[in-house]
Order: sequence, then C-alpha cells, then structure tokens
Amino acid sequence: MISSLIVFSGAAQFTMVALLAAGAAPAGVLAGVATLALRHLPLGAVLQPKLTVDRRRRALVSWFLLDETTGLALTRDEPVERTLATSGGLAYLAWVLGTIGGVAGGSLASVEPLADALFPVLFIGLAALTATRRSDSGRAVLAGGACLALLLVWPGAGALGAIAVAIGVAAVVPAP
Amino acid sequence: MNVTTLLAIAVITVGSRVAALALLPPPKGAAAGLVRRLPAPLFAALAALSMTSSDGGVADPAMLAAVCCALLATRWSSLLITLGAGLAGFLVASLIW
Repeated sequence: MISSLIVFSGAAQFTMVALLAAGAAPAGVLAGVATLALRHLPLGAVLQPKLTVDRRRRALVSWFLLDETTGLALTRDEPVERTLATSGGLAYLAWVLGTIGGVAGGSLASVEPLADALFPVLFIGLAALTATRRSDSGRAVLAGGACLALLLVWPGAGALGAIAVAIGVAAVVPAP
Repeated sequence: MNVTTLLAIAVITVGSRVAALALLPPPKGAAAGLVRRLPAPLFAALAALSMTSSDGGVADPAMLAAVCCALLATRWSSLLITLGAGLAGFLVASLIW
C-alpha cells in the first residue's frame, strides 16, 4: 500500500515484488528498479521540448511521468503539463484505490484478460497518433516487429530492451 | 522488505522522473532529431512489450484479435476508435473461443 503511495510505478512495484519473492537481496532489488527507471529518460526527452512551465513546476508534474501519460500528452491539443497532471492524477487515484481494494481482499480476476489486452491496444493507438508521416509509420512497424521478435527470443530483455529497440530504430532509420 | 529499501526505491523512481523532466537539458542537435523520431517507434515497442508480458502472451486468441482490430482501426487516426475496435475484437474472440 505504501509503495503505491510513494512509488506509483507498476513496472517498479511488480519487479520489486517478483524479485523479493525470488529471494533477491535488497541491492538486487534496487538494481532492478534502477534499470527500469532509465526508461523515464527517453520519455522525458520526448516531452521536454513541448513543456512551457518553469523547472519547479516541471519537477512537480514529473510525478505523473508514465508511458501512458506521455503518449496522451504528445497527442492532445493542450499544454503537455496539463495533460500529464490530469491523466496522471486520475491514474494515481485509480492506482491507490485499486491497491486499497486489493489489500481489502477484492479481486477483479475476471476482467484481467481484458485489461491485459487493452494495454497493447492503447499503445497501438498512441503509436498511430504520433506517426504523422509515412516514415513515422514505417519506423513504428519496424520497432514493433523487432521488439516482438526480441521479446519472444529473450523475454528477459523487458522494458529496457523495448526502449533500446525503439531508440535504435529512431537512430538508424532517418527521416526522408 | 525494510523501510529503507522501500524509500530507496521511491527515491530512484521519483528521482529519475524529476531528472528526465526538470534537471537534464533538452536534447539538441542530432539528439533532438532522434527524439523527434522517437514517439511512434517507442509506443509500438511498448505495445509489443505489453503483448508479451501479459498472462496469456501473444498466443492468446482474444489478445491477438484485439491487436489485429486495433491495427486495422489505426487508419482513422482516432484513439477512441482504436480502443473501441480493440475492445470489440477482444469481446468477439472471447465469445468464439
């Protein structure tokens, strides 16, 4: 419950739980979480040029820097910081309430497959919205296919592997 | 897990967010070009990641139907339509299988 309040990161929290359950030492857990935290750097780099507020407000709104809120912020016709705060605030509320429900013994196992399916659908939608040129679409298809192949061959590559593939494709395949 | 480890995890996660948005300088030159090209491949890669990390994995017919319908719906460039198509694909496949 406390980790949901002060960490607010599904990837970090699930990794933490999995490593602890596997008997990892605290240093190993911290290393795993730190590796995952690296994903925030490209997300922030994508958003930074579009931010219009000062450094202090950027620091405040960074609490809501997630994969999903980044996607929404890039595709909405309103200030990036406003979308981050609105969508991130709602996500935080749902995250904390969901954790309270889970701690209280509630279970939504019956809708878990639907929730699993909605994440790739959401990211496909965000990829399509951010692909404003044909070359963007080509890079998206290439990155999606390469990442799928990588994760099928090496599931341990995880989020960092996925982001590395995306950066590699963006670096190697230039704009026409 | 002790409180110190939990606090360290929070510091790492929150610190990386603050660094990404407020501390690191905005990308310039070649890095700025790379960042401009990054969003679409990044979200496509995250879509692949969330497919493979789900319980059913890529072999789940309902998941595959949702993804295929979402891909077909991207031609309308609407997040709502893409989500609706994915949801419809998932529900239809769940009824069949």
